[in-house]
Amino acid sequence: MMRWSVRLSRRSARSSALGVAAALCASLAACGGETSRSGPSNELLIVGYDREPDTMNRYATHILEDIESCVVEGLVTNDEEMKIIPVLASEIPTTENGGVIVRPDGGMDVTWKLRPGVKWHDGVSHTSADVKFTVDAINKGDWKPESVDGFDRISSVDTPDSLTAIVHYKEVYAHYQLQFVRGTLPQHVLEGRDLNTANDYNRAPLGTGPYKVKEWKTGEYILLERAEGYWRGAASPKIKQLLFRFLTNTTTRINLLKSGEVHMVALVAWDKVRELEPIASLRMNRVVGNGYEHVTLNQRHFAPFADVKVRQALAHAVNRDLLVRTILDGQVEVVNGPIQPLSAAYEPKVPTYGFDPERARTLLTEAGWVPGADGIRMKDGKRLAFTLITQSGFAIRENVSQALQQAFRDVGAEMTVKLLDGTTISSVWFTGDFDAMLHWWQMGADPELTLFFAGDRMPPAGRNINYVNDTELSSLLYRSDRTADVAQRNELLREAQRRIAALAPEIVLYNTAKVDAVPKSLKGFTGNPTNAGPFWNVHQWEIGTP
Amino acid sequence: MRGMIVRRVLQSVPLLVLISVLVFALLQAVPGGPLAAYLENPNVRPQDIERLRVAMGLDRPLAAQYVSWLSAFVRGDWGYSFADGRPVLVRVFERVPATLELVGASTLLALCLALPVGVLASVHRLFDRITSFGAVAGISLPVFWFGLLLQLVFAITLGWLPSSGRASFGASSFADRLAHLVLPVVVLAAVQAAAWSRYLRRAMRETIGRPFMNAARVRGVSERGVLLRHALPNALGPFITVVLLDAAMMASGAVVTESVFAWPGVGSLFTESLVKRDYPVLMAFLMCGAIAVMVLNLLADIAVRSIDPRTRGTA
Repeated sequence: MMRWSVRLSRRSARSSALGVAAALCASLAACGGETSRSGPSNELLIVGYDREPDTMNRYATHILEDIESCVVEGLVTNDEEMKIIPVLASEIPTTENGGVIVRPDGGMDVTWKLRPGVKWHDGVSHTSADVKFTVDAINKGDWKPESVDGFDRISSVDTPDSLTAIVHYKEVYAHYQLQFVRGTLPQHVLEGRDLNTANDYNRAPLGTGPYKVKEWKTGEYILLERAEGYWRGAASPKIKQLLFRFLTNTTTRINLLKSGEVHMVALVAWDKVRELEPIASLRMNRVVGNGYEHVTLNQRHFAPFADVKVRQALAHAVNRDLLVRTILDGQVEVVNGPIQPLSAAYEPKVPTYGFDPERARTLLTEAGWVPGADGIRMKDGKRLAFTLITQSGFAIRENVSQALQQAFRDVGAEMTVKLLDGTTISSVWFTGDFDAMLHWWQMGADPELTLFFAGDRMPPAGRNINYVNDTELSSLLYRSDRTADVAQRNELLREAQRRIAALAPEIVLYNTAKVDAVPKSLKGFTGNPTNAGPFWNVHQWEIGTP
Repeated sequence: MRGMIVRRVLQSVPLLVLISVLVFALLQAVPGGPLAAYLENPNVRPQDIERLRVAMGLDRPLAAQYVSWLSAFVRGDWGYSFADGRPVLVRVFERVPATLELVGASTLLALCLALPVGVLASVHRLFDRITSFGAVAGISLPVFWFGLLLQLVFAITLGWLPSSGRASFGASSFADRLAHLVLPVVVLAAVQAAAWSRYLRRAMRETIGRPFMNAARVRGVSERGVLLRHALPNALGPFITVVLLDAAMMASGAVVTESVFAWPGVGSLFTESLVKRDYPVLMAFLMCGAIAVMVLNLLADIAVRSIDPRTRGTA
């Protein structure tokens, strides 16, 4: 009897355990299904974001400022056509409107007129004193903002009235229009404080933008909430809350988009676009980016690259159309230079290097490189063999590297591929310790090329990691930097582009496309070709009917 | 017992110092430093980098950097993160609960699976064959692949469970937290249970063949009694050591799982800090890891002593 009861109770325990498990599954399923899968609405838009910001301080962060820019506005921003448009400034200062004056001493004065009626989120007015405070805070030197470029050329700022800031430059600075694209620091909150450790500001900055930080849950998300009393009026922004979920794993980010747990993902990897296209609730928003993928040929590290014929030959060896059609899945376009068609300074008529392996072989022979026993060309007992570095974990680049390897081999050059992590690559930019590198430059809206091609801007003084040193080119670039006249500057830059193409210091492959996966119901979304990022006009977004 | 604990703690001090020297040196040897992240911006100039180097104290000799780190560390001042400027202590410990939750739950689940499977497999040949196949599969599963597969099936296709995160936004119920735990815990537990069940099975098999087992049978102890009261306690000693050491390692093994499931634990902090070469956070993480391994090792010894009377007389 005793035994029976034990058995019975075991059996009933088993069946009740099964019941509990089933009920648990059902309730878990229900709760997983309901709370995390509601579609986008004007109450909440969930963004799958590829990384957690280090700081929300726009001047100190060294990653994209997408989240920050929803909170802290610049005096200007770039629109979807890469035009610089005023935000907190009431107009863009130019020589024509009298906002820019070149002084007889070679310096320059830029007058910024601020938009009236703009208030910080705490209700205090945004004034020219904030502009002056920002310049002083950056130039004081005891803070570690990411870059002080341009600010160190400012000698002083005058504030004749609360809405006028006159910025005095020591020399002509052609990029002045984007000087305050990262906005201003609120003087009334930060004066006298150590900005390195002002974590209340750095984690939840006081801004003038459409949103403010409601919560930053480390490792999980940042929640932005509509700022009441936004200067554009009560109708803006329409979406009440923006939730940025940090999803570092690319596949996870895409999986969450598919399952509906996130509503949009900015910058979808090109090889994932086709996978997402069939999802009915999503729209793939594609803009041509202001960047270009290329192979840097380091003339200092690998001497044969110093011969222009070798560089041109390698450029002719690559079938770029095929690369774009196959590996890149047609998401990008073949381009021929560092400045993209979006820019007013773009020059379309430059020497180009079409796929022509025969021409490549001829050029190499002319340069004295003759095929050795193994098919690899030799000159003075040295083989034409070099190493290309590129970023690991980036499937497209790994595939492109292999295609390049094959293409170069076909014309008699041996290339070894070495994959490095992103941080190591960044350091290499500064040391110049490599033969060739497959990577891209994401260019700013300002068409500056000096940093990348001037003879005296080789690392560590700049990003001329091709180590190209051409007097004519350097002169054109510096002249373009030292003119405040935009039309004249663009003409000089066009000539520079023709010169760069003739010199072929790098093998230009294709431009970068920026593909954002957004809900079909999201109105007002345009994307952005520059680092201003897709959130540049977040105040205009609205969830409507798809 | 108390003597042993004191002795072990004292022994661990020079070991920890040695580990800290090694870890410090290794981090310096990794190419690209904490300033590399700043270099991604093409407008950053050499003078900016120099300014940042001085601001971060990276311009001082390595030995000086190490000594000041060590003296601050033992005083409980773990410095500030290079990445976000917040205290390292805050950054590390705000992530600990999530990792404890994940590793604790997976250890528990893995034990619940490994114990019965290990014991049964040691006596049932057919069951052994079947589970051995399952265990080999479990051990060989790449964690990230298995994780993504579960996500695909249970979150995307079936929609039963959330695919990632620790909780739904705006939800605070226990069931919601549990739902988020299921997939990462299953992934971690599957691998552990597979390994542990095989370990226990082998330890059991070794014990079962020993003469005292036959002696017990001769005394009339039932087969189940022999197995559970005589073989299991003997096999359990080394098993517990393995489990506790693995639990310490699992916190770092959870790096991949945490990334796949966007779990906000120390593992994901470690990956992130490694990418940014955030030395202060990395040092703290690696030192905590070393301390955790030592503590769990000590706990394992204590546990084995309390289970197995034969070990009590020795050091």
